[in-house]
Amino acid sequence: MIATLSGLVLRAIVVLSGTAFLTFALLWNAPGDPAQAIAMARFDALLSEDVIAQVREEAGLNRNFWAAFWDWVGPLMMLDFGNSSVTGRPVWPDLWTSISYTFPLAIVSLGVGLAVSLPLAILATRRPGGWVDRCAVAIASIGTAIPAFWLGLLLILLFAVHLAWLPAMGARTPAHAILPAMTLGLGVAASLTRIIRSGILEARNQPFLPAIQRRGVTPHAIGRDHIAPHAAVPVVTVLGLELAFLLEGLVMVEVIFGRPGLGTFLVSAISARDFPHVQAVVVVAAVVFVTVNLLIDVIYKLIDPRIAARDA
Amino acid sequence: MRSVLALAIALILLGGFGPMLAPYDPVAINIPKRLSPPGAEFLLGTDALGRDILSRLLHGARWSLGLAFLISLISLIIGTAVGLMAALGGKVADWAVMRTTDSFLAFPELVAAVVIAGLMGAGTWSLIFALSVTGWMRYARVARGIGLSLQTRGYVVQAKLAGMSPIAIARWHYLPSLLPSLTVVWTGMFARAILGISSLGFLGFGVEPPIPEWGAMLLDARVHMRSTPLQMIWPGLAVVASVLAINVAGDMLRDAISNERSQS
Repeated sequence: MIATLSGLVLRAIVVLSGTAFLTFALLWNAPGDPAQAIAMARFDALLSEDVIAQVREEAGLNRNFWAAFWDWVGPLMMLDFGNSSVTGRPVWPDLWTSISYTFPLAIVSLGVGLAVSLPLAILATRRPGGWVDRCAVAIASIGTAIPAFWLGLLLILLFAVHLAWLPAMGARTPAHAILPAMTLGLGVAASLTRIIRSGILEARNQPFLPAIQRRGVTPHAIGRDHIAPHAAVPVVTVLGLELAFLLEGLVMVEVIFGRPGLGTFLVSAISARDFPHVQAVVVVAAVVFVTVNLLIDVIYKLIDPRIAARDA
Repeated sequence: MRSVLALAIALILLGGFGPMLAPYDPVAINIPKRLSPPGAEFLLGTDALGRDILSRLLHGARWSLGLAFLISLISLIIGTAVGLMAALGGKVADWAVMRTTDSFLAFPELVAAVVIAGLMGAGTWSLIFALSVTGWMRYARVARGIGLSLQTRGYVVQAKLAGMSPIAIARWHYLPSLLPSLTVVWTGMFARAILGISSLGFLGFGVEPPIPEWGAMLLDARVHMRSTPLQMIWPGLAVVASVLAINVAGDMLRDAISNERSQS
């Protein structure tokens, strides 16, 4: 177990270093002159070559690639993300503020997704092929095909414009989070419903179930002790994909609802060519993503010992 | 199910012949007629510049579906090549290639595409580049997995003993076995590419402005949500219908392949 665990951690470190390098190389080679973009953002108009050259010097854009890379990675190890090249302020406080908007939204959306998909899948598998089942499958298929930003716009149209029940733009009160959480949660629910449903159906086909039934175990106990753990394996497998879906959705949903979270932070940093900001978001997202996937791998091995045995 | 297959065929026809059916020029600006409601003259109404929405949707089909097809094809080629390289290249190459793939996967694909397309600046080429570069990893994983399982098969071992070059073995012995699974992955990535193109278009990092792409149309429509909400409905419906049709077609294909395998 310790050997597999350290192997997984080593792999995560290799992958993270690769991501950091790829990100830096991409930004370094991005077309357009970042110094000019920064100068425009800071001083608006009337730029002479001289001003741009000074900005280039100050932002450290005139060094060679490797020097710049190590200057970035070194402090990064100490969790120092440097200063914004546009405002000159340290990156971390601003980044932290935006994380404090994004993280709760992500958790609530996951909760909404589970709260919708679990009962729906259980209800659907009561009678496979029945009309509830067919409706659930149809809703799930349509749900996975709807882009998060369009669903968000539709919800704004219905609940904010027509009914005027909920606020649409901003993040001042908890009520502002309802529509974004619904948008993301319904997307998560759609794909989870499919997975949970097929997991339950597959668990029902296991050859040991008739034997347990004949021993007189109640259907409720069978569901809890035998079907649920079986159906959980595929759900854990797709949690990583679900997280990716959630992060992708967060970017779009925050932009639509005007929430000052990580997604908005990223998009405005890209538009302003604020490279330290872009790098910081990419690194944070990659660390979260790799860590969660690492945890999923570990959980996966804990709940299904066969996998650990096969890998060893 | 049959109706969805019909929808998929209709989509292909729409991509090919849609622009010919358009009643107006999709970029012709007609300010006096701006934001007109659906009616006899403009079946789905007009946008803020008086451009016919139906014509823009039909032309948009070629951009959205055509670009998604191209992008999923490019990433198919990259991914298959990378995956086979890992499977055939020996242990060191396998490790290096798969950790590189993991690094690319260490980031949600669409977010990476937003970063790349955003930094390269709006435009069709940066859109194609951004979505292809972030879309090849699933193909690579599938190609490598099947490739590794083929290595010990009799005909592959004999081909090696007969002195066939690795490239010839990859071409004649690996590719035919890979095709069914890769096609299933491809349908999923085709659908994802449609979503990706419209997402980038909606963020303003997509194709250049006058081009009638569905995501960009949604971006235009968003501002006029209160006055003409219907304008926002059509492009979204087009995206959902396309993605749904392709996804279901992919599911049917996967079921057909697994049925065939279990029978043989």
